[in-house]
Amino acid sequence: MAKRIVIPGELVTEERKKLGSHVFVREGKIYSDAIGLVNDESDFASVVPLEGKYIPQVGDVLIGVISAEKFSVYLVDINSFYPSVISKRDLREILKPGSVVSAKIMKVNELNEVDLANPRVFFGGEIIQISPVKVPRIIGREGSMLNILKEGTKCSIIVGRNGRIWTKGGDIELLKKAIKKIEDEAHLSNLTNKMQDFLKVKTAKKNEQEGEN
Amino acid sequence: MAKKKEEKIVYVDSKGKRLDGRKQEELRPIKITAGVIPRADGSAYLEWGQNKVYAGVYGPRECLPKHSASPYKAVIKLNYRMASFSVPDRKNPRPGRREIEISKVCGEALEKAVFVERFPNTQIDVTVEIIDSDAGSRIAALTAASVALADAGIPMRDMVCGTGVGRAGGKIIVDLNKDEEDAPDAVDIPLAILPNSEEIVLLQLDGVISKKEWQEAYKVGVKASKEVYEIQKQAIKGKYAGAENETKKAKKGVEAQ
Repeated sequence: MAKRIVIPGELVTEERKKLGSHVFVREGKIYSDAIGLVNDESDFASVVPLEGKYIPQVGDVLIGVISAEKFSVYLVDINSFYPSVISKRDLREILKPGSVVSAKIMKVNELNEVDLANPRVFFGGEIIQISPVKVPRIIGREGSMLNILKEGTKCSIIVGRNGRIWTKGGDIELLKKAIKKIEDEAHLSNLTNKMQDFLKVKTAKKNEQEGEN
Repeated sequence: MAKKKEEKIVYVDSKGKRLDGRKQEELRPIKITAGVIPRADGSAYLEWGQNKVYAGVYGPRECLPKHSASPYKAVIKLNYRMASFSVPDRKNPRPGRREIEISKVCGEALEKAVFVERFPNTQIDVTVEIIDSDAGSRIAALTAASVALADAGIPMRDMVCGTGVGRAGGKIIVDLNKDEEDAPDAVDIPLAILPNSEEIVLLQLDGVISKKEWQEAYKVGVKASKEVYEIQKQAIKGKYAGAENETKKAKKGVEAQ
């Protein structure tokens, strides 16, 4: 896989290709608008970004943290431009600031304001914050990476598109290390196999230590 | 000072060397590092000769105060600040006329490069702190801010790069330092461009310069700016090349075991 790093304004290709994400056309040539990776062999001229903020899209499932309570709604911080709201009528539970919910995006308007639906409350657990552009790497192709993480750490994991990962039970410290490693090496290839080895080695070590004790 | 009045300073000698030994079209040494402030969305540290600059980018985020927001585009709020110890005499830390002006012109220059229309009603905060200065600090600030914006992953048409050009001792030179800026016939022109389209985004001039001199200065300025662009490129890519090398090392270590 021939992948190369491009910076904003750098030429992606001079050929006429289908336009993918994070590219723009000027004078018939295709340029990148972000720092990211380009696959020259692909039919699409597209850039996989390495940095960036979360831009809400309809259909995304995200993890929000309740930031305030109003008369009939809760304000939810969704790690985007504006906080969103969840109606109290949609919820059976009584929430406090700091409660964790997941929800699906129903509508995004032209100002990137979000309407949420299908709220689900989580109790306990921890939130791990990562860069939103690296969420696809955490999930992997058809959830392959996520399955490896779940198997390796025995945590229950819910990944939100906005870069928040809710997790409960299992070896959370190991999961944090693994996620950190994925984030640092998100621009490298063959990551899924690497993580499998990484988790195997770690769990083997842990079992050894427990055996000694 | 008395000595200076007696002897006339030669700004460019017969061999084409300047006061600090540079050639006429040579830049001062530039070093840029991206991603130095973990709390910021994007950041950069730049050393340009004696200039030392930190730039941090926050956003796009909710625009406050609300009346400063635009429903058509993101507002770039660039804040250029000089540390009180960045100049020979203590600088009053209150933002003065000069700093407010530089904040405005540099922010407008960056607005030309960023796809601001994609984030209506938001602001992008760019904070530039000058730790040490020696002429050409506004271009150094702009160069660092541009790297920090790219590091934050904000969509941009192009980087912003630039240099100072001007005249000292009757010769057109690139990237003037303080001694050259203080020449009796000095003209200093900060010039910032978008390197791909060669569009000018910042141009200021104090002094008087002839059309012919300006045309020459513009030519060498654009050429030098593109050198700066290459350094910016390496700086942004270097952040990831470093991680690549580390894993290679780790792999070698595993193999050795």
